[in-house]
Amino acid sequence: MNTLLIFIGCGLVTYFSRASFILFGDRVKLPETVQRSLAYVAPATFAAIMVPAVLGDDGLANLVPPSPQVGAIVIAGFAIAKTRNMAVALGAGMISLWLLQWVGL
Amino acid sequence: MPEPSTPSSPSSVPPADLSFEKRWFLDGIVSGLPLAAPALPFGFVVGFLVSESANINNFTGWASAFIVFAGSSQLAAVELLADNASALVIIFTVFLINSRHIMYSAAMNPRFTGAPTWFRILGSYLLIDQSFALAENQPDDMALRDRMWSFLGTGLTFWVVWQTAVGLGVVLGNVIPEEWSLTFSVPILFMGLMVLSIKNRPGVIAAIVGGVVAFATRDFPQGTGLLLAIILGVIAGTLAETRLKADLAETASTS
Repeated sequence: MNTLLIFIGCGLVTYFSRASFILFGDRVKLPETVQRSLAYVAPATFAAIMVPAVLGDDGLANLVPPSPQVGAIVIAGFAIAKTRNMAVALGAGMISLWLLQWVGL
Repeated sequence: MPEPSTPSSPSSVPPADLSFEKRWFLDGIVSGLPLAAPALPFGFVVGFLVSESANINNFTGWASAFIVFAGSSQLAAVELLADNASALVIIFTVFLINSRHIMYSAAMNPRFTGAPTWFRILGSYLLIDQSFALAENQPDDMALRDRMWSFLGTGLTFWVVWQTAVGLGVVLGNVIPEEWSLTFSVPILFMGLMVLSIKNRPGVIAAIVGGVVAFATRDFPQGTGLLLAIILGVIAGTLAETRLKADLAETASTS
């Protein structure tokens, strides 16, 4: 199978997902419960991508004692909550990670 | 980055003699840049994997960046191709990983009410985690035209950064030392997006359930654990909101 054709298939299913409601949604009215629930898609999704990526293969063993990654993500979380600024959170998180790795925690 | 409380003028305050379209387009670019920066190491890794894979020629691998334009699913597709997985398995995996965009699309549609077809076609292509998060955090009373141009600014910024990053990875291979741990900027980015998207206590519950379930189901095949985590997180948040409202109503009626 041609690799390019596989990528085109991947692109089509991705575009269909993105276009579903934006392009065809005006004819469909979402139920009120579904509309309310959409506010929770973002927090649930971003947490679901972030948590396994931070804990990695060792999983819960990285929590006690906290791995440099766990320490750094907590610091980054406080930074973004305090400043609402993504660049500050990135700087705080990466510098914390390097420092925590350097001191060998 | 525009605060949820930003009044209807661009946060970057470009010269006032520019048209509104250009000002909001610039605002979208400025808002998108801090979000796009962490995509550089991510895209670089995708490109690097392409350059290492005997099954994918470099140009086709690079082409995936504008055909699919979805980082984590591209990474999965490239890995599966290297493992000689079947075309159907690869395409279905990409669909599973990207099906969250259906929920983004549903959330964005009311915000683009009245938008022209050309914008809906192009905007759909540019609907990614980051452009969704920024648009979702914009005030509800923002004008449609401002919303559109800001969205295009962010989306196209990300698009240019992504094509460049994947291309650099393909061409240069792995020259960034692994000890720099630059890929860790990806979870930091998602932590930031998560915090910015939480607007009330049920939002916290949605995030906790989503994170815990995703971790517990991380070995589920083909991204199904991620899907399950999102769905359960959304249900938990919605139930918590219903419960909170009922409690408030009860408090109000008894006092």
